[in-house]
Amino acid sequence: MYGSYDLGELSIKNEYFRIEIERRGEWFFYTRESENEKKERVLGAERGKIIVTPVEPVNLPKEITNYMEIKLKSPIVIGPGDSKVVYLKFPVEIGVFIAWRRASEVLDIIGLNKPKYTLYGEPKNGVICRYSESEVYRSLPNSNPLKESVMRLRIMNGSGEWIEVNNIVFDVFGMKMYYDDFLVFCDAEMKCISKKVAETQFYDSPLRKGMKKALELYVARRIIMPKGKFTMEWGL
Amino acid sequence: MIDLLNINIYGDVTLYNFLFAVLVTFIAVLLARIITRNLRRVLTDKLKKDQLELLLKSIYFGILLIAFLSISPLLGINLSGLLVAGGILGIIIGFASQSVVSNLVSGIFLLAEKPVKIGDQIEVEGVRGIVEDVNILSTIIRTYDGLYVRVPNDKLFASNIVNFSANVARRFEYVVGISYRSDINKAIELIKKVIEDHPFVLKNPEPLIFVDELGESSVNVSIRAWTPTSEWFNVRIELLQKIKESFDENGIEIPFPQRVIWFGEDEKES
Repeated sequence: MYGSYDLGELSIKNEYFRIEIERRGEWFFYTRESENEKKERVLGAERGKIIVTPVEPVNLPKEITNYMEIKLKSPIVIGPGDSKVVYLKFPVEIGVFIAWRRASEVLDIIGLNKPKYTLYGEPKNGVICRYSESEVYRSLPNSNPLKESVMRLRIMNGSGEWIEVNNIVFDVFGMKMYYDDFLVFCDAEMKCISKKVAETQFYDSPLRKGMKKALELYVARRIIMPKGKFTMEWGL
Repeated sequence: MIDLLNINIYGDVTLYNFLFAVLVTFIAVLLARIITRNLRRVLTDKLKKDQLELLLKSIYFGILLIAFLSISPLLGINLSGLLVAGGILGIIIGFASQSVVSNLVSGIFLLAEKPVKIGDQIEVEGVRGIVEDVNILSTIIRTYDGLYVRVPNDKLFASNIVNFSANVARRFEYVVGISYRSDINKAIELIKKVIEDHPFVLKNPEPLIFVDELGESSVNVSIRAWTPTSEWFNVRIELLQKIKESFDENGIEIPFPQRVIWFGEDEKES
């Protein structure tokens, strides 16, 4: 379902929603219907591409943050100087864009998960994060690409003590997602500096050949200077 | 014509110098306006409003300052001389414009300390509203009912300021009364579900729901939950309505105040 389509009569249907673009006279009409919601947009364009892509899960019900916290259902304990690779799952949203040359605009964001937010840190200087929970997988888990993405996370303990990791916070403005018909994927790293401090960031690499890169929302919205890295200062 | 331009207006300052200074000032103001207007257009959706305003003001006044410094020799203004004379002049200006200087200095401290930013929701001197602008002499507040209020900076600086937007998260609290006949555990479970289902009631800090008081007419349940500051008002009003609807659907009664009255006659009969 993800991919790029020429602007014209279009119908995408799955078990969760239906997207249609139809021409009425000189105008194109975008319609998305799901169980409890209907959304319509009028497209004043003659040419372009419709791009359906997984996007960072921080847009629904409205955009209030660019951080995401994943709470691990089973904490990971890492020895001094050790490094481990685990797989996690986190929710994704589906972005529908209209694009022409290098400019793109968000038409619709579709969410198939119930969003929940949390505070990481203190009310004074912490950050609001999109909240999700994940099992810890030792190999690539099965997933529903319309609802969730799989993250390959390398956890490195650069300190001289044992560290327990319970949750991980990312700045999703640095997220690089890749997708194919079966999987949405992103690659990330967590460098533990001490028992309470770690640095997280995403890498720009697909899991396998043939995966396409998802459009990044902060690029589409022309937000400048995404930092990408996030320093977790209020506990792991 | 050339002779006319060489006429001394005062001291060594000729008409030519004066006109040239006016021209430079005019160009500087024009340039400052063009640059800030274009920067505002380009940066509006890329910077926070308060950062943008500070940047634009710095650029605007920076250009004017450079222009002033460059034309001051033409106008016969000796800045080093001004510094020497500054003591006496300062006292005179200070007495003459005590209030203005006080506001100016307070404004500079406010810009440095930043207890409020543009867009913050604050309460100061009994005025509640949204900060529209922080100027060098005054701060502009738009009250919730749309009134324009100008608060002089020295007043703002010396007052207790409540900034509702300073922290990223904020707590709200309700007390909901439940009848003694209703199942209190069920009521608490329903409240927990409503809270869990709302995306903007934060998972952490964890919401607190507990029986706070056995009141005269009801069992009072206290609900304390945190939300992102930007969503505080909306969540607060939405959640209470959803709790009421959930109670109605599940037969949990919210009682009116009530009093049991015993009559002496009844006692005699029994």
